[in-house]
Amino acid sequence: MSGATLYSVSAALSALLLGAVASILPAPVNAWLTSPDVVTGLAVLIFSAILLAASMINTIMLIWFERKMLGRFMDRRGAMHVGYAGLLQNFADGLKLFRKNTFRPREADSLGFYAGPTAYMVTSMILFGVLPISTGWSSGALPLSLLLALAIFSFAPLFIFVSAWSSNNKYSLIGGMRSAAQMIAYEVPILLAVVAVVIVAGSFDLNVIVNEQQNYWFWAPLIVALIVFVAGMLAEMERIPFDLPEAEAELVEGWNTEYGGMLFAFFMLADYVRALIGSILVVLLFLGGWTMPSWVPSVATSFPLAGIFWFMIKTYLVFGLFIWIRASLPRVRTDQLLRVGWNRMIPLALLSIVLAAVVVTVRCLPLVGCVPPLGG
Amino acid sequence: MRPELLRERLGPLLGPRLLAVEPFDGTAGRVRFAREGALDLFRAVRDDLGYRHLAMVGAVDWVDHREVFYVAWSDQERDYVFLSTDLPANDAHVESATPVWPAANWHEREAFEMVDVRFDHHPDLRHLLTPEEYAFHPLLRSFKLHEPEELEVKTRNV
Amino acid sequence: MWINMGPQHPMTHGLWNLRVRIEGEIIEEVDPEMGYLHRGIEKISEDRHYNEVITLMDRTCYVAGMSWEHLYIIAAEQALHLEPPERAQFIRTLADELQRIASHLMWYAAFVQDLGLMTPFLYGMRDRDLILDLFQSFTGARMTYEYNRAGGVRNDLPNGFTDRARKVMDWLDARFVEYDQLCLDSDIFHRRCDGLGVLSARDCIDWGVTGPMLRSAGIKRDLRKDRPYAAYDRVEFDVAVADGADVTARYLVRMEEMRQAVRIVRQTLDWLDKHPGPVLAERLPRWLGAPYAPVGREGYLLKRNYPTGRGFSSVEEPHGEAQAYVVNTGGEHPYRVKFRSPVFVNIAAAQKYLPGYRVADIPPIMGSVDVCVGEVDR
Repeated sequence: MSGATLYSVSAALSALLLGAVASILPAPVNAWLTSPDVVTGLAVLIFSAILLAASMINTIMLIWFERKMLGRFMDRRGAMHVGYAGLLQNFADGLKLFRKNTFRPREADSLGFYAGPTAYMVTSMILFGVLPISTGWSSGALPLSLLLALAIFSFAPLFIFVSAWSSNNKYSLIGGMRSAAQMIAYEVPILLAVVAVVIVAGSFDLNVIVNEQQNYWFWAPLIVALIVFVAGMLAEMERIPFDLPEAEAELVEGWNTEYGGMLFAFFMLADYVRALIGSILVVLLFLGGWTMPSWVPSVATSFPLAGIFWFMIKTYLVFGLFIWIRASLPRVRTDQLLRVGWNRMIPLALLSIVLAAVVVTVRCLPLVGCVPPLGG
Repeated sequence: MRPELLRERLGPLLGPRLLAVEPFDGTAGRVRFAREGALDLFRAVRDDLGYRHLAMVGAVDWVDHREVFYVAWSDQERDYVFLSTDLPANDAHVESATPVWPAANWHEREAFEMVDVRFDHHPDLRHLLTPEEYAFHPLLRSFKLHEPEELEVKTRNV
Repeated sequence: MWINMGPQHPMTHGLWNLRVRIEGEIIEEVDPEMGYLHRGIEKISEDRHYNEVITLMDRTCYVAGMSWEHLYIIAAEQALHLEPPERAQFIRTLADELQRIASHLMWYAAFVQDLGLMTPFLYGMRDRDLILDLFQSFTGARMTYEYNRAGGVRNDLPNGFTDRARKVMDWLDARFVEYDQLCLDSDIFHRRCDGLGVLSARDCIDWGVTGPMLRSAGIKRDLRKDRPYAAYDRVEFDVAVADGADVTARYLVRMEEMRQAVRIVRQTLDWLDKHPGPVLAERLPRWLGAPYAPVGREGYLLKRNYPTGRGFSSVEEPHGEAQAYVVNTGGEHPYRVKFRSPVFVNIAAAQKYLPGYRVADIPPIMGSVDVCVGEVDR
């Protein structure tokens, strides 16, 4: 933790703002305004607002990135006209969705129909507060932040199922059920793969996990866990080849068939938020987070915000891999997906735990180097 | 296969129900038969002559009568045979070809709704292209284009 | 539970309704419901001049307009006792095969899209555009060509057409390899397609199924070989056949057909280079030659010496075997026109090849049928 952190910046901003407001207000109010509780409260709000804005912009840029990259794969150019190289196209699309009428089928259940997408969006956004993006750029050092992140991540099938059911549409219902089955099936291998990381890192704290990777990144000793984790994340994100819940060809649009306007935008945005979170988790757990290997010249790692810079580069590269997969693979079938999940992924994940135990016991591996002692 | 051969092969099987066999370019011949012999003819054409593949069934409205025609293909002969029968306009019905050629199913449904020919013992004689409530037969000569018609279509709840 | 897959559904590739009764994810029963695109083309034809019907043919199947024009024009020429010149026959063959490639590329694009493959979809559409450019250069239109005429074709090929077409064929030959790599080399593709939608050879024949679906069941039947029309008896090509009768087999058949079509196109281009000549029969009746000439009073028309006759034609359209029956009772309009669409029959057989598979299998299976609703409903 060195230099200004995001929180210290927002705390200073909060104190400054409250001080300025307090100076023109009468006595009892200004004393309360400058009290530490209020300053901290506003600081948290400012912190969240900055985080929200940053993550939203990142998410939207992620969509731009995907559109451009898919375009290149498909021998076309992607968005070109709004902004430079179509940079603002997604903002225009978002604005269009925002202006659209939000409607609900008559037979749909009102509460579930509106609450589903909102809760899906909110739970996805909360994750940004949990994940550290660089040293000092997180809301705090939670000892169990990895567990918390995965717990929040796995809320999604519930909300998808609720909104699918309340849509009162057969396609939505089938899509929702598929989604729930798929996410639950892949939750297990993901968690088991994470256990392998935790065994090697010796902590559930993402900051610690990243710091453990100062010497070597975890992908090399835990390659099996990485494969399981990436495959599971593809399923959790519902991206091709695992996008069956919204399999366009047979289920129209899956669980969001009945949604339009802003509610649909919520789903789309939350999907990309989850894609971003998935990429971030891969980077944090396996690719060293914001750290860089020691052979990288210090010029490249010591400039201001270098941690965030390298972190985002890695995240976008991981997401680029997902785009590449999307551009080149067809969709699998539900039963095949579930069979792969239960019959292949879980044994592989268990194997990765064994490998992690071996890594920790043996300490030194050829090519990888030596693992620091547990709890380091 | 040549028209004479067709007459030779089909004549003993159908007797007087075989009316004529005329040459028709592009096919083995145009076999005209009386509707009483429909199923026997179909079976003979399919099993004895080898025209196993039904290509199309259609109907023509000749105002005073209606003609139903069947076209079948044979892989051995590599040609088509054209079967046709005339039905009186006020009593246009013929035995369905579906027991012999399952492929006739939809063709006959179409002929039924378009030219108002009924096919006896058809498994599923519903309208195909027009709504079930549609009371007109568009391919009859009496159905004039450019004349408005009123139609109420019920939507079905499934 | 009955599900309505359509009329607005991404699987349908057109406007029709596949009603499916499912038990869990397994299909128990299907009931295709057609007619959403019914325009009464057979009826409208009765009010049109022989050459005006060609316009409707382009709209019958909007991805294979040229083949349908050809189908109709053979029957119409037989009914009118006209004989097209040799060069027109070769141009028709060329146009038919270009259309086959364009139609199969369209099928490829739609089919892989059903599987969730986005990239080949755009590759297919990109390459189809090259064919459409060729069409535009000699017919003036990309989709609705109106190129065939009773007694030949409307105009000759433009200068430099053959060289341009050869370049496109070379490009396509290289692309076919890429297509196969994207599909056949993918394990997921085989998991999705192998053993799916099986329709045995016997069922194919009983239900009248033709075209790539029939050839995928191992039956070597192609009207271009078995009953040659136009110039097909003067070009060399192989009939594409595959075993398995499933979705993968249909994919293989269509891919091979595209390769063979390229082969035929090259041969016709060589022939056309060497044999200039008229493309429209001489001494056409005047009432036929001018499709939009004003129609006189009926009494005046009756004095003319109209021929009478019946025409029957059958061509190997990209989707399968199409038949046309034209009745000419003398006059400027056909008395009755009847078309048989291969897709019509292939969809009718859905009750044989869909039940027993899963809902998720419907898009690949129906995709492999290559549905063109325009020609089903007519």
